[in-house]
Amino acid sequence: MEITTSDLGLAARVQHLTKSYGTGAAGVRALDDISVGIRRGQFTAIMGPSGSGKSTLMHIMAGLDAPSEGRAWIGDTEITGLGDVEMTVLRRRRVGFIFQAFNLVPTLDALGNILLPFELDGRRPSAIEKARIDGLVERLGLASRLNHRPHELSGGQQQRVAIARALATAPDLVFADEPTGNLDSRSGREVLELLAAASRDHGQSIAMVTHDAIAAAHADRVLFLGDGRIVADHPRQSAEQISAYMLAAEVAA
Amino acid sequence: MTAVAVGSALDLTPGRTARLAWLRERGMGASILVAALAAAFGVVLVEVTAYIGATLQADPFIGDSGTLAVVVAILSILLTAVAMYVAAVVTANTFSTIIAGRTRRIALMRLIGASARSQRAEVTGQGLVVGVIGAVVGLALGLGFAAVGIIVGSSLIDGAPESFTLVQAGVLMPVIGVALTTWLAAHIGSRRVLAVTPLQALGGSVERTHDEVSRRVGRNVGSLVLLISGAALLFLGVVLGLVTPLGVVVAFFGGVLSFTGIVTGAVLIMPPVLRLVGRLFGRSATARLAAENALRYPERSSRMAIGVVMGVALVTMFAVALESSKALMMRQSEDGVPLEMFAPMDAFAGIMMVLVAVSAVIAAVGLVNLLTIGVVQRKRELGLLRAIGLTGAQVRRMVLLEALHITVAATLTGLVLGIAYGWIAAQSLLGAVPVLPDYEPAGLVLPAVPWLPVVVIVVATALLTVIAAVAPTRLATRVAPVEALAAD
Repeated sequence: MEITTSDLGLAARVQHLTKSYGTGAAGVRALDDISVGIRRGQFTAIMGPSGSGKSTLMHIMAGLDAPSEGRAWIGDTEITGLGDVEMTVLRRRRVGFIFQAFNLVPTLDALGNILLPFELDGRRPSAIEKARIDGLVERLGLASRLNHRPHELSGGQQQRVAIARALATAPDLVFADEPTGNLDSRSGREVLELLAAASRDHGQSIAMVTHDAIAAAHADRVLFLGDGRIVADHPRQSAEQISAYMLAAEVAA
Repeated sequence: MTAVAVGSALDLTPGRTARLAWLRERGMGASILVAALAAAFGVVLVEVTAYIGATLQADPFIGDSGTLAVVVAILSILLTAVAMYVAAVVTANTFSTIIAGRTRRIALMRLIGASARSQRAEVTGQGLVVGVIGAVVGLALGLGFAAVGIIVGSSLIDGAPESFTLVQAGVLMPVIGVALTTWLAAHIGSRRVLAVTPLQALGGSVERTHDEVSRRVGRNVGSLVLLISGAALLFLGVVLGLVTPLGVVVAFFGGVLSFTGIVTGAVLIMPPVLRLVGRLFGRSATARLAAENALRYPERSSRMAIGVVMGVALVTMFAVALESSKALMMRQSEDGVPLEMFAPMDAFAGIMMVLVAVSAVIAAVGLVNLLTIGVVQRKRELGLLRAIGLTGAQVRRMVLLEALHITVAATLTGLVLGIAYGWIAAQSLLGAVPVLPDYEPAGLVLPAVPWLPVVVIVVATALLTVIAAVAPTRLATRVAPVEALAAD
């Protein structure tokens, strides 16, 4: 019997993952035989320069894109080879997303956005889910903003609504793609502290793609990608250490 | 559909070919099609009204009546005028939405130094070219269609006129009219070019929200004045109609004024109707998203809706006008009024219905354009929704509901308006006409609504909605979830 993702203590993993665009001499290999897991309950940062493949890796792990070769799992479900509908339902129920910008549907108010994954599923949140959402709204300081539309919220507030939505379904994994990229440094720090707290206090598994050393310093673990491969895997580091490593890698390249 | 095929947004090929390259741009083909349909519509209408007029004069029952000859003459002119008016407004609406889709490119030109006025002049010039091409194509189409129709007509209708020529000076009216109104439409539609800022080239362009739109007091007051004065004239027309058939002339201007008020005030009138219809679709996530989308750009949705309203109102108007006319003229028909008397009128009604259906096709082209623009501008949001769990089937349902939302609201509005206008037309024209058997005028009658055309309208709009939604739906389902992350 195959060892499952949860046996390994992982929330998601990929095995011998390769992603190529185009063929022949013009072909680009965005991911080159990567095998890696995101540990359950941890806040993992994925770093690397532009073109390192970090976004491609995240897209495949989150079920947004298909690999050229290799396998990927979310929880114990193998997602490679799933049809579009199964994949969509899996994302809806078991993955949370926080993007850099444009996270919210502009025509829905904050509460409507938070409840969207449930409504797309054609159901109302259960009592337990309701309690969790109430708790999230409280913790994220959104109670007085629930009936505001996105354009009436500040950038930081919009990201907090996105966090609430991503966490509301208690997904196997939350993927955050440069979640602080559009924020001022104070709002950015708040968002990062909220993510770290969700992982620390509630055991939420989070994978965050970033190229900001200060953001990555909030994570329990930092993965570095370069040329489509994992080049380093560090436990929690300070922003200075991360910057120093990146600078050295940049100079070496 | 080639009419909305994606053309290159920026053609950098130098030289002669580049000068007309904009014709391949998204929506240009569609607006030529709309202009051509409108012109063909006008041409066929001129031919058919002339032909019907000739047929009526040849009819032994009606030809003798002096009053009815006047009525037919008035009707011919009015119908042509109505056709011209509707064609112009439909063309104008479609063209202005196409320009709305070009904001980004105009902003880019502004960014690299083009003046707002030169940008507007360019759009206006393109409008004239589109109008001329469309009008010429429409003339050819219309004449061809009329020729076939008249051959078929003379074999079907008893007492068809012996000689009838397609060479009617009247056909130049819709042809020149459409070319000019497309030009004018381009000019009016390009007003927003002046409001485009160079910054919009850098960010996603944001259309004005409902509040800002409603605040344009001047235009709203204008619409209201048109509506009220139009309604007053319509009332006066009905009252006058009890004395003389010329009441219809007063009512006609009332109709034009009030309908212009409705068209220019669409942004005020349509959103409440849209909101009402949105509630009918239930509370599911797709239904709610669709309902909110239909109201996101009230100007755009209202414009789209009013195109359908015009088609539906016109078809209903003709049907109700004719049915009410029959009611007015058949008041005591049991007393042996020959029913054959109405045969040419029924043929007339049928032909008019088919002709007016062309405006529904024009509206459908507008619907395709607007839904497409809506999908293109919402790519990122669709990607986001796909990422967080909207399935392809839900995307399809959402776009279809958006289209339905607008057509249902428009059909309801159109039916109400059509019944009102149709009844007023018949009443103001025939309220004073002496009819058999005792040559006494009928006075006031209730609006007579023929149910068959109403059912046909509802089924046809439903069908048009589904067909119009095909291409935009396909476009929307092709949006990949990753597009939510694209740094645009």
